[in-house]
Amino acid sequence: MPLDTSTYSLALLRIDGRRWNDLRRLHAQIHTQEAADGSSYLEMGHTKVMCVVTGPAEPQAGQQKRGTAGGGGAGALGGGQKDAASIVVNVVVAGFSSVDRKRRGRNDRRIQEMEITIQKALAANLHTHLFPHSTITVSLHVLSQDGSLLAALINATTLALIDAGIPMTDYITACTAGSTSSYAAGDDSADPLLDLNTQEEQELPFLTVATLGDSDKVAALVCESRVQVSRLEGMLVVGVDGCRQVRRLLDGIVRAKGSKMIKEGVVQRSDLMAVSLEE
Amino acid sequence: MPREAEPSLSERTFTLQAISEGLRVLAKVSAEVTVPFPDRPFDGIFQITSELGPMVAPSYEVNRPTETEVLLARLLEKTIRRSGALDTESLCLVAGQKCWSVRVDLHVLSADGNLIDSACFAVVAALRHFRKPDTSIEGETLTVYTPAEREPVPLSWLHSPFCATFDFFGDEGDIVVVDTTWLEEQLRVASCTFSLNKHGEICQISKLGGRPIEATLVIQCAQMALDKVKEFTDLLDAKLAEDAKRRDKGGLMAELSAENDR
Amino acid sequence: MAPPSAELSHLPKADGSANFSFGGYTITAAVNGPVEAQRRDENPFEALVDVNVRPAAGVGGTAERQLEAILQPALRHLIAIRNFPRCVVQVTLQVMEAPENAYVNSKVMQPRLNLGIIPSLLHAAMLGLLTAAIPLNTVASATCLAITNADEGTAIKVDPSRTEIDQATSVHVLGFTADGDLLLAESEGSFTAEEWDRVLQTAENVCCRGQETGNDAEMGGYGAESENVLHFMRSVLEAKAAESLHWR
Repeated sequence: MPLDTSTYSLALLRIDGRRWNDLRRLHAQIHTQEAADGSSYLEMGHTKVMCVVTGPAEPQAGQQKRGTAGGGGAGALGGGQKDAASIVVNVVVAGFSSVDRKRRGRNDRRIQEMEITIQKALAANLHTHLFPHSTITVSLHVLSQDGSLLAALINATTLALIDAGIPMTDYITACTAGSTSSYAAGDDSADPLLDLNTQEEQELPFLTVATLGDSDKVAALVCESRVQVSRLEGMLVVGVDGCRQVRRLLDGIVRAKGSKMIKEGVVQRSDLMAVSLEE
Repeated sequence: MPREAEPSLSERTFTLQAISEGLRVLAKVSAEVTVPFPDRPFDGIFQITSELGPMVAPSYEVNRPTETEVLLARLLEKTIRRSGALDTESLCLVAGQKCWSVRVDLHVLSADGNLIDSACFAVVAALRHFRKPDTSIEGETLTVYTPAEREPVPLSWLHSPFCATFDFFGDEGDIVVVDTTWLEEQLRVASCTFSLNKHGEICQISKLGGRPIEATLVIQCAQMALDKVKEFTDLLDAKLAEDAKRRDKGGLMAELSAENDR
Repeated sequence: MAPPSAELSHLPKADGSANFSFGGYTITAAVNGPVEAQRRDENPFEALVDVNVRPAAGVGGTAERQLEAILQPALRHLIAIRNFPRCVVQVTLQVMEAPENAYVNSKVMQPRLNLGIIPSLLHAAMLGLLTAAIPLNTVASATCLAITNADEGTAIKVDPSRTEIDQATSVHVLGFTADGDLLLAESEGSFTAEEWDRVLQTAENVCCRGQETGNDAEMGGYGAESENVLHFMRSVLEAKAAESLHWR
C-alpha cells in the first residue's frame, strides 16, 4: 500500500501517530548474555537487534585471513594486526525478520557493506592500540526489521562494547532522518522527519547518520535515495539532533544498569565513581 | 582537479577507457535478448559487474572479492542502477517473454587512487556511448537487426550521475582533498563519496565509518561535489558530441535514424 | 591486414605490461613477478606460472580456462622457472577488443573455444614478460592457420578472419620458439595427417622465416615479405629501450 504523505503537513501526525521529530520507543538492555564479554539487546520501534561482543581476544586462525585481506585494499583503517586490535563485525539477518522471508547469504553485498561501515566507524572510535595482537569480534543478529536497521545495529554495538568494557572516546549513536514528499515533487518546503519506519523508508528519501558523543561530528553517513542537494542540510540537522536524543537514552540505560549492579553488590562501589545513586 | 580524466572512445566496440594519470579503467557494455525475471515482466535486465584482478596488484586474487571490490560494486549499483539512470522498462520487448539484458563489465587495469570516481565515470560514459541493435515487432515475431541492416540505437538514458569522493586528513579531519593518489589514500582518516547528477539530485552518499567529521564540512563538501559533477557532465558531453560528429559521416545520420526524441 | 601494433609499459602499477593488437584483437597483458607464492601452492624447486585470461564482456568461463590451460605450459617452458623457487609469476591477459562482425549479432557468452585469439594472447604475454624483465630461456611466436575447401583442393589461409574460421574445415594454432622448436600445437576440426604436415610447414615458414637471414636491413620495414612477429617484437622493444635511454 503506498504511503500517503499529504496528510503529514495537515495533521502534523505521521502514519504511526508520531510528530515529525519524535523518535520511536527505544528500549534497550545491556549485559543480556551472561557468558559473553559484552552483550546488548536493542529495540527501535519494531526493529529488534541483538549484539554480542567477544574480546579483545587472541585472533583465531580463520579470522586472521579476513583481516589481512581487508588490509590489502585501500582501507587503511582496522588493519594492522601488530600494533592495534583488529575488529571483525558479523551481521546475521534472520529469515523471519522481515515480511518476505528472503534468504540472504553470507555474501550479500548490502550486509557486507553494513559490516564494513560498522567496523570502520568503530576502528576510529575504540582505543584499539591498547590491545595489540588481538581481535574484537562483534556479532550482530537482526531479529526483526522495521526501518533504521543500520542505526539500530550501530546503537546496539555501542552498548555491547560499553558492557564489554572496551575503552572508547565516546558513544557512537545513530538514527535516520528523512524528508516528506519524494524527489519528484520539487518543493523546497518539504519537512524533515526523524526515525523512519519501513513504510516511510520505502516511499521517502532518507539518510542514516551516526555521530560521536554530544558533538556535531559525523562518524558515518549513508544515503541511498534520490533527494535534492538543498534538502541535505535540513535532513542532516534533524538527524544529528536525533542522534543526541539517542545518546541521552543510551546513556540513561548504561547508568541505570551501573547503579543496579552496584546496589546488587555485583560491583564494589569505589570512591572514584562519579555515579550518583540517588533515585 | 589535478589529474585530468581523458576518456577515449573506440569506434565500433562500445568500450570506453577513462584514463587519468596512473589510473586506467575499461568499461565494456554488451546487450543480448533474454527472458525477463518472472517477478518483473515489464523490466529489462541491467547489471554492472566490476572486478579487481591481479593486474591491479598481486594481492588481488581471482574470485575472492576484497573489501574495496565489495564497496565499489555497491557504490556503482546505488549510483547508477538504483537511481534509475537507465530506463529499464524501455528494455522490455515482449512483456514477460523477451527483453534486453544489458551488462556492463568494468575492468580495472591499473589503480592509483580515486578508483570510485573514475569507475563511475567510465560506466556512465560507456552506457551513454553504447548502441544496441535495433528491433522491430510484427505480430508475434521479433526481429533483431544486425548493425549492417539498421543503425544501432542508443539506450534510453534518463540522467547521468557522477561520483565525487572527498578524503579527509589531519587529526580533526578538517583537511579536505579531492582526487587522491593511492599513496595519499593510505594516510587518510576518513573519506566520503557523493553521487549527484547535474540537476543537483543526490543519488547516494556514503561516508562509511572513519574519523568523525564536522557536519558543516559535510554540507560544504556536498556543494563542492555538485560543482565537480557539473564539470564531469560537461567533459563527457563534449567528448560524446565529438564522437557523434566523427561517426556521422556526411550528415546522413539524422535521416537514417529511427529514433524519436523523448 | 593491418600490421601489428604494440604499446609497452603503459600500466604503472604492474611490473611489466604491454598492449598488443593484431587482426582485430587487442590484448592487454600485465605481468607481476617473481613474487612470493602462497604457502598452499608454492613449489620448492621452481617458480609457478599463473596465467589468467579475462574476457572483455561477461565473466570467464570454460573457454577462458582452456585458453589458460593451453598458454600456461607454453609460458612455463619459456620462463627460467628454476631460477625462482617458491615464487610465482602472474600473467594477466585482458581481452580489450575482439573482432566484431557487422552482419551477425554476437552473443555475450561464447562457451566455444576461439583458437584465433591464441597468437595475440601469446604475443601480448611475451611482450609483458619482456618488459617485466623476467629471465626467459627463449622467446616464441605463434600463428593461426585455417584449411578451407576450395574448388581446386584445399587451401591454407594464414591469419584467417572470424568468418574464414567459421567456414574452415579445420583450424590450427602453432607456436615456435626463436630456435625453431615447436612450442604449442592446437587443432580443431577434421584433417588428414598429410594436411597437418603442410600446416606445420607453412606455420614454420611464417614464424621462423628469415631467422637465419635476419639482418639489419630486413628489420626496419614492415613489408608483406618481412611480416614476422619476432622481428616486430624486437623492433618495438628496441624502440622502447632507445626511448628510455634517451637521456644518456
